[in-house]
Amino acid sequence: MKTVKAAKSLSVENLPLDVATQDKARADALPSIQKDMLRTYDPAADNVRRFLDLLAERITRPVAASLAACVHCGLCVESCHYALTHPDDPTMTPVYKADQIRKIFKRRIDWTGRIFPWWVKAGTPRGDEDLNRLKNIVFGTCSACRRCTLNCPMGVDTAILIRFTRGLLTELGIVPEGVFNVSRDEWETGNQMAVTPLDFLETLQWMRDDLRADPKLAGLDIPVDLPGCDFMYTINPREIKFDPRSIAQAAKIFHLAGEKWTLPSAGWDQTNFGLFSGDDRLGGALARNLYEAAIRLRAGRIVISECGHGYRSTRWEGYNWAQYDQDLPSESVVRTLQRYLREKRIRVDKTKNDLPVTFHDSCNVARSGGMTEEPRDVLRRVCADFREMTPNRTENYCCTGGGGLLSMAEYRPLRMEAAAIKARQLEATGAKLVCTICHNCVDGLNDVIKHYKLDMRVVQVLELVENALVY
Amino acid sequence: MGAFFRPRPTAEISEGERRVSPLLQFVEDRLQIAALLFMASVYVIRVLWLFHFRAVRERAAAEGRASAGAGYSLSNIARPWAMESTRTRPLFYLQFVVFHLGVTAAIAATFIIPYAPQWLAPRGRVITFQALMAAAFVVAVFRLVRRLRRPVLQLVSTPDDYAAITLMMAYFILGILAVPNRPDRGEGPMIAFFILTAFFLVVVPFSKISHYLYYPFTRIILGRTLGRRGVLPVRRPRSRQTAEERGEEVGA
Repeated sequence: MKTVKAAKSLSVENLPLDVATQDKARADALPSIQKDMLRTYDPAADNVRRFLDLLAERITRPVAASLAACVHCGLCVESCHYALTHPDDPTMTPVYKADQIRKIFKRRIDWTGRIFPWWVKAGTPRGDEDLNRLKNIVFGTCSACRRCTLNCPMGVDTAILIRFTRGLLTELGIVPEGVFNVSRDEWETGNQMAVTPLDFLETLQWMRDDLRADPKLAGLDIPVDLPGCDFMYTINPREIKFDPRSIAQAAKIFHLAGEKWTLPSAGWDQTNFGLFSGDDRLGGALARNLYEAAIRLRAGRIVISECGHGYRSTRWEGYNWAQYDQDLPSESVVRTLQRYLREKRIRVDKTKNDLPVTFHDSCNVARSGGMTEEPRDVLRRVCADFREMTPNRTENYCCTGGGGLLSMAEYRPLRMEAAAIKARQLEATGAKLVCTICHNCVDGLNDVIKHYKLDMRVVQVLELVENALVY
Repeated sequence: MGAFFRPRPTAEISEGERRVSPLLQFVEDRLQIAALLFMASVYVIRVLWLFHFRAVRERAAAEGRASAGAGYSLSNIARPWAMESTRTRPLFYLQFVVFHLGVTAAIAATFIIPYAPQWLAPRGRVITFQALMAAAFVVAVFRLVRRLRRPVLQLVSTPDDYAAITLMMAYFILGILAVPNRPDRGEGPMIAFFILTAFFLVVVPFSKISHYLYYPFTRIILGRTLGRRGVLPVRRPRSRQTAEERGEEVGA
């Protein structure tokens, strides 16, 4: 395993703005661009002026309070995996990153900075180069994991400042190419991986047929648009596109539990890149699709598959973005599994999972979603050797793939440097399996394991429960 | 306001105060009240300013209690074990406590000296106040050195940050000299102490020292948001026992 301290920080602040796919999207006259939903970069526009206007227009009370309250005590430094792995680089610290938007706030909105900017180091971006630099800081050097937030004595929420700034830049098209691409796909297709309706239905059929090959599961179905079910199941497009086994695992468990459930043919994507890009319009549109699908199908509740940012977006933030008062209960599938186990609707044999398992808390689920004990309860019931990693729960370190960073290839080298602390944390458990309830974390942890050559594999709760089933 | 600036009738002045000069009497009383009124007015405007920003209405059904989260968040300051950043740095937390006790002593002295001088008559109380401010001064020196030496703090620190800590150091020194409340031995330190107090009262709303004004707001906003979601109060596992150990039948 490599040392925790990175030899030299890979600076990302000056990475250029790549607009090739934005140009192509404009040339293709995509409907989302025509309808002014997807914003692109215009080098001829006064982007600084637009940025400042948006800042003044969009600022909310929580953002203003967090911008005003920092005392530069530096206690956030030791809570950030970027800062901990780059102790000689002060630009990796949460306070520095937050100060990049704070100084603009002070210059334009706060009192003292407007009159005596030098006294509080207030400043305004001078041009698009400065906005691009800001883009690289807020998108490339922070996974918005909220660990610093929970360690700030003042209660400054640096993660919402990062998201707020990302949102302003997204309006100007000053975003990493990967962020633009995923946003484009979500606007255009309603899901972040541009899965077509045919792909979706065929993959479900394939999984259903595979499951039915087991004589004990002959009556199993993966229903789509079945009205009046106990719940509507929502998934991550990654499950359709790359690893549909999790859908099969869920379907098998639901079948054995005697559940009446359905997937919707539209509004099935519980992921939401609006969380990462800071685009509340996109976030609201996607969330509303999902909530309205559940109403359309007269579902009793919404169940969210194992996805950290999907859970946070669908369960918590989406209602605010969509200006939609929650009208149906919604829960993570982990809670559904916990209920099945508690109510003995499924039978399991924990000795079937005999390898040592540790649990990685997703930032969006633990620090921003409040769900820490449910997955542990399930794992203790289905695994013979469950062991905690340290620190855990709301103090766990990010998988390093959060905040949408998996879609931003240009920041990957820095991300892998920052992952050293995660690698050390994983290795210290001695576990052979690391379980997480987030698809982003699956990919993020896989990157860490591969990069640091760790002897372990990533699994999810559904896989372990399915493996322990007795039927 | 005219009456406000008129000298008080002699009958209202205490025995101890009779010996103070008109200048000291002015700076420790009327100047302070004027500065306090100014600070209070600016703070009211500051709070209104903060409230003119749009609040975020939570539309998701709560799983926890916003009030419990807010209470937990607000009282974090008294629970150093609650956050990793303070739990793993007990000395840093101790410095915070000592520093703010010194601040409290200094502020208390600005009221006690002019309005309840007899309270500071016992020598032990004077020494206690002086000790608190001296300890706070030492912490302030540590904090200033830390700010000057740590690269990240050098990078983010502003003149406001340096001025705040430096002025506080001067304030503690003057406070130590002022609390014996012996104008007969020279009024200089006392006059300087009260002038600096008035200066603080006028300047603080525009400086980082006003962080205590924001503290309840940031803490309550964060606490309410995370309280609704059940993140705060931080849930500790009810039991480390396995399901079987709790007597539940699990699996086959």
